[in-house]
Amino acid sequence: MLYNPGILDSLSKQSIDDILHSWGAFVYCCEVLFGGNGDISAASELSNSVSVLQRYGLRGLMEDYFLQYLEDTFMKRVVVKFWHHFDKYSDVPISDVKKDQILVDQLQAALSKSLEEICSVKNYQEKCLVILIHALQFYGDNIEKGKLKSGQQESNLLSRYHLMVSSVFLTTLPSHFPEVLRLYFMNKLEELNTIIAINYDGLESLRNDRNLKYNGSDEMNIDGSHPGSTLSKNNSLVKSIGKIVLDLRNLGFTALSEDAYASSIFQLLKAKVQALALDDYRTPILQSIKEWIQAVPLQFLHALSSYLGDSFDNDSPSSDLISPLASRSLSFPGIDAPSEGLVRWKLRLEYFAYEKLQDLRIGKLFEIIVDYPDSSPAIEDLKQCLEYTGQHSKLVDSFISSLRYRLLTAGASTNDILHQYVSTIKALRTIDPTGVFLETVGEPIRDYLRGRKDTVKCIVTMLTDGSGGNPSVAGSTGDSLLEELNREAENQEIPDTDEDMNVDDKQAWVNAECWEPDPIEADPLRGSRQRGKINILEMLISIIGSKDQLVNEYRVMLAEKLLNKSDYDIDSEIRTLELLKIHFGESSMQKCEIMVNDLISSKRMNANIKASKLQPAMNDSEQAKVMSLDLIDATIISSNFWPPIQEESLSLPSHVEQLLSDYAERFHEIKAPRKLLWKKNLGIVKLELQFDDRNVEFSVTPLHAAIVMQFQEKTSWSSKSLAAAVGLPVDILHRRMAFWIGKGVITDSGGGGSDGPVFTLVDNLTNANKNCISNEIEGMDEEGESSMVSAEEQLQKEMTIYQKFIEGMLTNFGSMTLDRIHNTLKMFCVAEPSYDKSLQQLQSFLALLTAEEKLDMRDGHYFLKK
Amino acid sequence: MQDNIAGGGVAAGGKQHQPISKGADYQSVMKRLQSELMALMMRGDPGVSAFPEGDNILCWKGTITGGKDTVYEGMIYKLSLSFSTEYPFKPPKVKFENTCFHPNVDLCGNICLDILQDKWSSAYDVRSILLSIQSLLGEPNNDSPLNSQAAALWANQEEFKKMVEKLYKPA
Repeated sequence: MLYNPGILDSLSKQSIDDILHSWGAFVYCCEVLFGGNGDISAASELSNSVSVLQRYGLRGLMEDYFLQYLEDTFMKRVVVKFWHHFDKYSDVPISDVKKDQILVDQLQAALSKSLEEICSVKNYQEKCLVILIHALQFYGDNIEKGKLKSGQQESNLLSRYHLMVSSVFLTTLPSHFPEVLRLYFMNKLEELNTIIAINYDGLESLRNDRNLKYNGSDEMNIDGSHPGSTLSKNNSLVKSIGKIVLDLRNLGFTALSEDAYASSIFQLLKAKVQALALDDYRTPILQSIKEWIQAVPLQFLHALSSYLGDSFDNDSPSSDLISPLASRSLSFPGIDAPSEGLVRWKLRLEYFAYEKLQDLRIGKLFEIIVDYPDSSPAIEDLKQCLEYTGQHSKLVDSFISSLRYRLLTAGASTNDILHQYVSTIKALRTIDPTGVFLETVGEPIRDYLRGRKDTVKCIVTMLTDGSGGNPSVAGSTGDSLLEELNREAENQEIPDTDEDMNVDDKQAWVNAECWEPDPIEADPLRGSRQRGKINILEMLISIIGSKDQLVNEYRVMLAEKLLNKSDYDIDSEIRTLELLKIHFGESSMQKCEIMVNDLISSKRMNANIKASKLQPAMNDSEQAKVMSLDLIDATIISSNFWPPIQEESLSLPSHVEQLLSDYAERFHEIKAPRKLLWKKNLGIVKLELQFDDRNVEFSVTPLHAAIVMQFQEKTSWSSKSLAAAVGLPVDILHRRMAFWIGKGVITDSGGGGSDGPVFTLVDNLTNANKNCISNEIEGMDEEGESSMVSAEEQLQKEMTIYQKFIEGMLTNFGSMTLDRIHNTLKMFCVAEPSYDKSLQQLQSFLALLTAEEKLDMRDGHYFLKK
Repeated sequence: MQDNIAGGGVAAGGKQHQPISKGADYQSVMKRLQSELMALMMRGDPGVSAFPEGDNILCWKGTITGGKDTVYEGMIYKLSLSFSTEYPFKPPKVKFENTCFHPNVDLCGNICLDILQDKWSSAYDVRSILLSIQSLLGEPNNDSPLNSQAAALWANQEEFKKMVEKLYKPA
């Protein structure tokens, strides 16, 4: 419309002159206006020329020219200069700038100064623009037609101007400027944080004081205003930040500035979380993080928004939409009505904090679980975080990998692994009561433990010993894991039992009401019913596979313990046994019970035998020779019910033999037709060695005693003759001898020849030797020797039988598959011990035989190696 | 220190004088064969072995290696042993599974051995059968040959050995 050629044709020469003249004046005015002197005296002249030009319909041309001119000057004079302020930060990495306080201060000054400058230029230009608009309007008013449009035109021109300004800025934006901004905000926020922290500490102590005075009146504190903690919009720091934000917005950097302060807030929060979540797991920190969020960033945002005058879409009428947010009770100390924007901020910040804390805790979960009972606050924090973020799978993955890396290695003792396993169960039970994640996390541990030979033993020790042989768990001695489990079980059962009638109906209803679907991570193959209760004992047993193995191992261990008793005091064993009976059932513990009863009746029997009258046919001299029966306390066992006992031949000195057979005879008299067979290698001998210069007491095994007693008759023995006298193989004698040599009682005087080294009794101790002698009760279980055939050895024995069977069948059938071997063993290996292994156990056994080069395997068929 | 309780569990049981049914027969045969198998496996005699075949404990497969310093040295012969429910009062039927050139073994693998026929006693067991057959290989009874060609050739050990090797087919 403006450049309609028809109009040009209709122009007379005079009009053209007129136009040219006015255009010249217009251009001149522009130059004066933007000459940089801030001279607006040319305004009236401008308005004249504008009216002339507008009459000729050149309004658009004028506007375009004017804006173009503005842009050019803005670009040339201002923007370049503005960016120049920040040039020096472009090369320096931001991290360096951060460290240098002077640079930071400079930056702050430069930023506020340059922003001020640029804003004043902008204001001036806007003023000029307004002059033009007025001029245009003035003409428009005259013509009447433009009346309606005038308002529109004004805003149109201004918005074109703003668009121009921000596009100029954005197109020239140096890449490091956002960083610079962030740095600025970061710095300011930290300053703010320290100020608030000081106030906050004061407040905290104030609150503590109040708590002392009015117990539990905490709510008042939250609702009441804290003059110290509330940031008013008049705070100088807030003011200066607010001004910067305002200026930036003015330049069209709304998004950029918000982004910058948001990211600084997050960085600050991250630093705060990291600082609070140190390697101390004994204090809950989630609450203090939340308090900090309220105290610092939210206060700041509130103050900032009220300074800026916009209140994050405050009180938007569409409050129906924010129902999920509104449902949370929000209390902002010192802020009356939180705006929606602020609520959003709060949620954002909290989520960020939760996630951050969760990541930190998950990363350290292994350590946390290591000191589990102490670290339960950290677990509690983590639980809350996970409820919020729902990133349980992150936990599972990270924890499993740290388990693999740190726990399930050859260097970790089975005890430690088991303890960690139990702690893991307890800790994860808190985080996730459904046990779904525990299943996943526990699997690698269980798998690994199954590969360890001493797992069963360790579990039994843990159950019966309390400390589980782990010295680090001091203080819980005599308080076995089992009892702990029992206490837990009792605590859980109480609420169930006090409902009497209609329990089923009621319970069913309650169950139905609180039914929740399994988490999606749950393995659908396992029913949710199994999940409900997490029983630590069950989980321990699930490592081994069956409780029978556990009971068996316990039996061996119990036998060992009972046999080493010298005082019939079995109270603790009875207690443990009773507890085990609760968990495993009476029937499976029957043999163990018989063993314990043996001990009880032994005590009685022992007393009876001693009380029975001495045979009168002994004269005094004989009496003196024979040792009194009082010296013996016997443990009488019903060997059918005891695990196999290690046999070792041993010949005792004749008077001891005599004593034993006397004892046996009396037993036979009392308990006919039963007879007593001695297991001479078991038990304890308390003896006192009398030397010229000292007396030493020892508690040793019968073997050791038998050896040392031989030296009563003869102070020097060759090892061969001593071995014959004691009835031991020479190599075993040497091993046992090491004990006495170590005690300094006997020396190995070397020499010997074909009869081996000669041992001599040490009569006089030199002082130097004396130190190494102590009256310790020792020599019981040196080198881990045991009087019982261990469960493992029993297994070994079984396996030998299976090996023979396997060899037999392969000889006759050539080659067989795993399945066929398994089935054949099941069918024909039925005598004691019958074949009861799983296919997997057989497979690993066959693999073992293959490794020993006894078998060969090809295409799933096993052969005998020739 | 052990109390050997004599006579524990005497009260239980008592002897069973029930009419011997087929089922009970089978039970006792099974028991006997199972204990024989156990003994055989645990002894692990070199050169003889046997094991029940499939799921039937009345059918066994046996393996015999030829004795040292005999013409059968290094040969491995497979046997089949089939027991009746009257075992051990009747001997099992024993046959060679692969061809064995021997005076007392016919071409079908039937064996002429006194303890497997009229001299059988219930005191014998699988192990004694296997050992007897193993020794029969080295010491044939040429008076009552099943394979007269082999009996005739026995005097010439070298030729005999060639014949054995020629006819030998590993199972």
